[in-house]
Amino acid sequence: MHKLFVHPLPVRVWHWINALGFVVMIATGIQIRYIGLIDLVSFKPAVEVHNAVGFVLIANFFGWFLFYLFSDKIRVYLPELSPAKHFAASFRQLKFYGYGIFKGQPNPHHVSVYHKFNALQSMTYQIVMLLLVPIQCFTGVLLWDVERFQSAITLAGGLRVVDTVHVLVFIFFAGFIFIHPYLASLGHTWSAHFKAMITGYEEVEDE
Amino acid sequence: MSTSRKILVVDDDPVVGKSFDRVLSGKGYAVITAQNGEEALHKLANENYDAVFTDIKMPGMSGIEVAQKIKAAKPWLPVVIVTGYSTDAYRAAAEAAGVSGFLQKPLSPEMIAGSAEKAMHEADATPAPAATMPQLAEAADVTAAGDAQPASRAKNIALFLAAPFIGLVYVMAMPFVAAGMLAWFAAKALAAKVPADVKKFAMLIGGPLLGLGFILALPLVGIGALGYYAVKSARKE
Ligand code: HEM
Repeated sequence: MHKLFVHPLPVRVWHWINALGFVVMIATGIQIRYIGLIDLVSFKPAVEVHNAVGFVLIANFFGWFLFYLFSDKIRVYLPELSPAKHFAASFRQLKFYGYGIFKGQPNPHHVSVYHKFNALQSMTYQIVMLLLVPIQCFTGVLLWDVERFQSAITLAGGLRVVDTVHVLVFIFFAGFIFIHPYLASLGHTWSAHFKAMITGYEEVEDE
Repeated sequence: MSTSRKILVVDDDPVVGKSFDRVLSGKGYAVITAQNGEEALHKLANENYDAVFTDIKMPGMSGIEVAQKIKAAKPWLPVVIVTGYSTDAYRAAAEAAGVSGFLQKPLSPEMIAGSAEKAMHEADATPAPAATMPQLAEAADVTAAGDAQPASRAKNIALFLAAPFIGLVYVMAMPFVAAGMLAWFAAKALAAKVPADVKKFAMLIGGPLLGLGFILALPLVGIGALGYYAVKSARKE
């Protein structure tokens, strides 16, 4: 075993603020969307907290985005351009999660500095961070002040469309927040990747 | 920047460079290889490295000579001699040239990792004087390297921003690829049961038919796609 520095400080700070923020956003979001069905807190404070934390997360997202944009670590987020390689690696990884892991087989992905994600992770994180989070931020800001952003909302297809998109992505994130920590717990010990996201160092098997 | 250290491995046997690469690439090193002394010196003149590992017995220049030349030009650069045998005379010459150490073949991953780490400590302790680097490198190469940087940065940023869309295409294609693979495996399993003559005959007939099928389908697929988009944009209005 040796240690490999994979998560720079800005990424770790971003990640844990983001994780905490998402829990708050999902909780208050459920309260706002399903008022009457669930009444944990009243509507107004739920909206206020949802708005405030939302803006914190937008600022936080730009921290993450600018860090990767201006760091050579951007290579971690570059897509695999060969579909053959992408699908081969994806199916290998799926086979591991669905079968090999229960048989004690080794993880087919080997972490290295510019290749810290496996094929499924890198695809998922790319979509999440560069598409879904920005969509969620954008639709969120539109819904935050529908009068001010009237014209932008009309351009996007109307309030219904914007709201539906925001709720659909919300449902995705509500699922993500369970699946992602589960997958993150599948290191050589359950806590390995969590520790890595705190200390920055991933423990890697020697070859 | 301790994560992307560059190591030059000089050996006429490519296996040596490969084993360095296998051990070190996962540890944040970039391993570059040279087959002989001339190539090594050329690479060193054009690019900065953090350490050099060189074999002694090579066609042309010997490893000792390589070490002497490197030490004369870049005294701060750690040079480690990798060798299958070492006589006292070799050792004395190498030490006089100021090499950092010897690695005795056969090499184990631990030896490679350990000595790379040692060399890095040494490199950190005696950093390269910033001003000498451009002097050593030829002016043309410096500008070439300077130009290459922004271009690859722009490309990286473009790929970074395109990544989620490529990801989406992959996600949407996934079920089709999976179904295709299933069909392929099923066809292969079935084909294994069919006698060879029948197979050959089937391919002879089936091959051109399949090609013809694709050609016929192409305009239909095109028209279909056109129609789809036409309907979609008409609906919007
Ligand atoms: C509930 C809490 C969460 C926990 C416990 C958690 C845990 C982790 C862990 C252990 C890692 C490191 C393993 C790896 O690299 O895959 C990680 C990485 C990551 N997580 Fe989370 N996470 C949480 C919430 C979130 C949320 C809400 C998002 C996004 C919306 C998110 C996005 C990411 C991304 C993009 C990475 C890769 C970061 C990078 O290196 O650039 N996580 N997470």
